[in-house]
Amino acid sequence: MTSLDQPSFSLVDHDGRPVTENTYQGRWQLVFFGFTHCKVVCPRALRRLSSVLDELGETADRLQPLYISVDPERDTPDVLREFLRPYPRYTGLTGSVDAVEQAKQEFRVFARRKYDPTDPDGYSVPHTAITYLLSPEGKYAAHFLDSITEAEMTVSLRTILAKTGAP
Amino acid sequence: MTEKLLTAEQIGHLRHFDNLSRQQTNDWSLMQGKATGQDDFGGYRFQLAYMTYALAVTHLHRLPAAPGLFQPTMQRLIDKILLPEVWMYWRDTSQGGAPFNAHLSDSLHEEWDPVVRDNIMYSAYVQSMALLHDHLFDSDRYAAPGSLALEHWSFFWGGEAKRFEYDRETLNDHIYWQMVQNGYLGVACEPNCVFQICNQPAILGFRLHDLITGGNRADEVTAGYERAWADFGKLDENGHYSMLVLEDSKTVLPNAAPAPWADAWCGTLMNMWNRDFVHANYPRQVAGFLRPGPDDTLSVTPSPPMEAAGRQSDNDSCDFGWVTVWASEMGDERTLEGLLAHADRFMQPTWRDGGLYYPRNDTVTDDDGNVTLVEPMAGNVLLGYARLNVPDGMWGLYNSRRDSSRSDQPVLTAVERDIDVSQAEVVDGVLYARLQRTRAVPGEGTVTISHVAGRGRWTVLADEQPVARIDGITVTPEPGPFAKTVHINGDQVVLSCTENPHTFTFRQDR
Repeated sequence: MTSLDQPSFSLVDHDGRPVTENTYQGRWQLVFFGFTHCKVVCPRALRRLSSVLDELGETADRLQPLYISVDPERDTPDVLREFLRPYPRYTGLTGSVDAVEQAKQEFRVFARRKYDPTDPDGYSVPHTAITYLLSPEGKYAAHFLDSITEAEMTVSLRTILAKTGAP
Repeated sequence: MTEKLLTAEQIGHLRHFDNLSRQQTNDWSLMQGKATGQDDFGGYRFQLAYMTYALAVTHLHRLPAAPGLFQPTMQRLIDKILLPEVWMYWRDTSQGGAPFNAHLSDSLHEEWDPVVRDNIMYSAYVQSMALLHDHLFDSDRYAAPGSLALEHWSFFWGGEAKRFEYDRETLNDHIYWQMVQNGYLGVACEPNCVFQICNQPAILGFRLHDLITGGNRADEVTAGYERAWADFGKLDENGHYSMLVLEDSKTVLPNAAPAPWADAWCGTLMNMWNRDFVHANYPRQVAGFLRPGPDDTLSVTPSPPMEAAGRQSDNDSCDFGWVTVWASEMGDERTLEGLLAHADRFMQPTWRDGGLYYPRNDTVTDDDGNVTLVEPMAGNVLLGYARLNVPDGMWGLYNSRRDSSRSDQPVLTAVERDIDVSQAEVVDGVLYARLQRTRAVPGEGTVTISHVAGRGRWTVLADEQPVARIDGITVTPEPGPFAKTVHINGDQVVLSCTENPHTFTFRQDR
């Protein structure tokens, strides 16, 4: 009620398989919301998070990076899979409009379609640029702002995971 | 050292705040406005909150060595804002039905928990008041689970008790995630209505939480706020603060009247994190609101009643009071003095139990056209706040640091009700406290000083004359009129005060 606690979702991954919050339990989940037409925020965040995961080395094996679309009408599983090809650690998730809306609510994510004449479809979807860290039990553990540096995020993740005996 | 002692009027306002905080449960004497059901800007929650803010700026900027004067009052004010009489309006207001959200009322339901969704004009005050207390007094009182409990139970209706438990962490967290979820535009007051004004206290709360915990949510939220409001404009097309955004239609409503209270309230609070912007716009904005009066007095033309659905809503808008606070925050001495001079001349300043206030008066002007309208919010709180504030007082509070040095310095940790404190500060390790006993209210006439007894040798002076020496926990009085003034009780020094004001100095012998 008062915080994220244990967010739930019911979506499909970029291979078309149904997934829920239980699918990834047992691994730390690194969750980012975005959309594939995003020009700045998502590419920057995905590059940064990929670099952080590289830097973490073996520790990264305990993390499951997830990229949840806030633009399900355009971001089909195929579109997501293609978009995430440069970021192979990530699994893309999408779903029906209602399912994505429910996931947004669970994570307290802001995203709203906005007129954008520079986009071929005429709109973009400004969104919360927060990266969420969920524990292996699926509970909210921390979140990182878009302004965080690679080094800061690497240190934070090492610290949090070290408390649970990560390498 | 502080240049000025508190004036009799400033002390009177502090005492009035204290007197109101001491009223018995659900005794809201002098605080009732003309609106029904705590529905307007003069409701109890606003009076309780802005008394707390006024106490905070006074403590920080004017009487920093007197936590014992402020802390109990703040705690009582927080106790009061948790009372259901203050927040039960939300059970009804949460259901919508107002002109701005009538179309949503089918999707809304009765909500008893007054902080769980929307209602930032209540939740942010509870949040910021609790965090102010813990920040200023280096306390974790409101970090305890359930320390901010909202409970209602009636013998006669409603079934089982409604009880909602929060603390400074859970409440701050809850408001923060609402802010995130709304793209940092803000949290709604009434359903669908995101007011700029009412999100400023939440930002103060985030900042205070950062100061206590070392986080950076306030910077995050203010940066997001700037981005979100860039789509709508913090200022409307006439240069006044935009009033609110309707969430569903993304329509921004300007300060169309323009209403003085809206600019003044928003400007006062936004100054804490956006000082250059607020100061740059102030002269032009305020100029249109001020009305010259006799003998250099200034007044504010009250804004017209709000109109909607063919009806007029005659609420407490507090134009005069808010503009006065705004002038004090902007450091506009000439305007502040002119407005306070008007209040003293036309608004019946009244002393009651040693406290100073301006009683409610629903008559807008006297026969000569001078503004006489006084809402309880203005008369109890805002005019006192303005008189106690310092230039950029809220900015200074927002940019303050948690003061852990108090544990090493002599401070007034308990002040009996019948003591007036017009100075309390530590300069170069020396405590200066100007104290006077009043017979206007009951009390024991004592002040407790901590961090002196048991901490070496000290000389105590009254008006620069030695009156006692303290060595460890032994006090040796000097012969004379102050021979019975200084006592040791355990590890505390207790001063017995008289009806004559004296400046006491505690200087450690090196």
